[in-house]
Amino acid sequence: MDYAIKTSSLVKIFEDFTAVNNLNLQVQKGEIYGLLGPNGAGKTTTIKILSGLLTPTSGEAYVLGNRIPDKKIASTIGYMPQETALYIGLTVHQNMEFYAKLFGIKKSEIKEKEKHLLEFVDLYDWRNELVHNLSGGMKHRASLACTLIHNPPVLFLDEPTVGVDPELRISFWNYFNKLKEEGITILITTHYMDEARRCDRVGFMNQGKLIAESTPEELLIKAGTDSLEDAFLEFSRRQKNEAL
Amino acid sequence: MKLYRVLAVTKRVFSDMRNDKRTLGLIFLAPILAMTVFGLAFSGDVEDVNVIIVNHDEGFTVPGRDFTSLSDEIISNLDGKTVNLQYMNNEDEALGKVENGKAYAVIIFPDKFTEDVYKNAVNPNSSETTDITIKADESIVNVKNAIYGTLADALTTTMDNEGFKSPININEDPVYGKDAEFIDFFVPGIMAFVVYLLTTLLTLISFVGERVSGTLERILATPVTEGEIVAGYGIAFSIVGTIQAAILLAVGILAFDIIIVGNVLLAFLAIALLAIVCQSLGILLSSLANRVEQAIQFIPFVVLPAFLLSGIFWPVEAIPQWLRLLSYLVPPTYAANASRAVMLKGWGLDMIWTDIVALILFAVAFIAIAIWSLKRKKG
Repeated sequence: MDYAIKTSSLVKIFEDFTAVNNLNLQVQKGEIYGLLGPNGAGKTTTIKILSGLLTPTSGEAYVLGNRIPDKKIASTIGYMPQETALYIGLTVHQNMEFYAKLFGIKKSEIKEKEKHLLEFVDLYDWRNELVHNLSGGMKHRASLACTLIHNPPVLFLDEPTVGVDPELRISFWNYFNKLKEEGITILITTHYMDEARRCDRVGFMNQGKLIAESTPEELLIKAGTDSLEDAFLEFSRRQKNEAL
Repeated sequence: MKLYRVLAVTKRVFSDMRNDKRTLGLIFLAPILAMTVFGLAFSGDVEDVNVIIVNHDEGFTVPGRDFTSLSDEIISNLDGKTVNLQYMNNEDEALGKVENGKAYAVIIFPDKFTEDVYKNAVNPNSSETTDITIKADESIVNVKNAIYGTLADALTTTMDNEGFKSPININEDPVYGKDAEFIDFFVPGIMAFVVYLLTTLLTLISFVGERVSGTLERILATPVTEGEIVAGYGIAFSIVGTIQAAILLAVGILAFDIIIVGNVLLAFLAIALLAIVCQSLGILLSSLANRVEQAIQFIPFVVLPAFLLSGIFWPVEAIPQWLRLLSYLVPPTYAANASRAVMLKGWGLDMIWTDIVALILFAVAFIAIAIWSLKRKKG
């Protein structure tokens, strides 16, 4: 099997806190993989390691076959952080242009790409507005547009739909599915269980560990529950029992 | 390192400045304001000092000449711009005025003043001296010096006029700084200080912003490297620093008629290098702050050492020797020194190269530490 993302025995320790504990994660190419778990479960740390922002304490991680950290992968990934992380003193257009230039995209291509992406997130009319003046949801949309500017084959989306209204969330997901059809791999973290059901596969993360992983339907069967929320609680209960 | 990514960062910094009128105002108005305020405050000499004259001198008729009063002549030679004269007869009353702050000094001429001066002058064997007494408020050194200096000048002029030649004459022949005033010494210092302060603060604040908003992390997940970010900021701020120096000089030349004898471009080189050092310092300091408010707390630590130690407002020689070592650890020292030598003395690169090398070494060291501080977070 050809994995887009693969980690083995991945560990990240911050001073005296173990954020990621022996994580073995495999995401296939062209798959939408959802990481679910409570705050502090290690989801964001995992994404930051995979994006090259943190160096693992031990273990290995590969993105598209390259062992990370490796700056080479930077142009093949699109990282969308939890915070909006845009230059609020710049306009939407200036932000897009800046990110595009960091990826070495040609000036002639930038304009077209920018238009396409901004139309998709419904911000084209706002392109000359300072990000500072945008609403929270608009900032999130602009942030997604910046993440996609260089057509990355692998996407790391850290809670991309927080603060986005339901209607737009649906259109986000439609777009994610469209990207998936193009063969793009998406690793996404989320709190919304209805979003988790839209993933090809879901991994439950707790205390830095992957406690269960499968398609949403199978997870429900394995846990014997009706909702993914209950399924998560069931699996973390089993984890606790094992520890005892 | 890819130049297009460096320039993308540079352009980003400039766009940020251009969009924000306050920052833009700070960048352009600060040098104008600094030059004007310092210029107005320091270009003038001490003026209008209230001085009371108590003249008991009875005058004297030298045999074969008219009646003269040397004291009157000295008084008339006192520089009327520096001192405001007031005449009184009662010493105690006059002293009372100094004591309650109405005047800075009382100058007292004794009753036999003119007579004694002539008698001592014609008798070469005389060991007598004639005294002028000054009772002054010497708590303000500048004022005190102005009073004594004015009196000494008046004395010399009077004695020359009367034909009492001093056996010793000091011949002034300036090597550098002909017609230079205090302001001319000052301007290169203000230039270095303004650029040092603004560059450090602007990078500090804008970089804390990058950290807090998450943009720093986000761009580090793109192909741009830590080194390219620092380089991009460095180019932007060295340009801004040079523009600020140019504005400051323009105000200095137009409004205060400052003297520039050397090649201004060399002074700009020193200032641009200083700006590069400062932006690295700003990035470095930003790693110690978690919020913009915390960064503001660093301001005194940024301002004070430069203000006091770098020879901006008084020469490094005026700093105690044991402390002078620290002066050489503060980067603006070299920029102020180099631009001062260029502007006042007309020195070239062959003379100021030590300062330039020092600035380059600082720049290299600070850039390296700044990059390290950015990489450290990956932990």
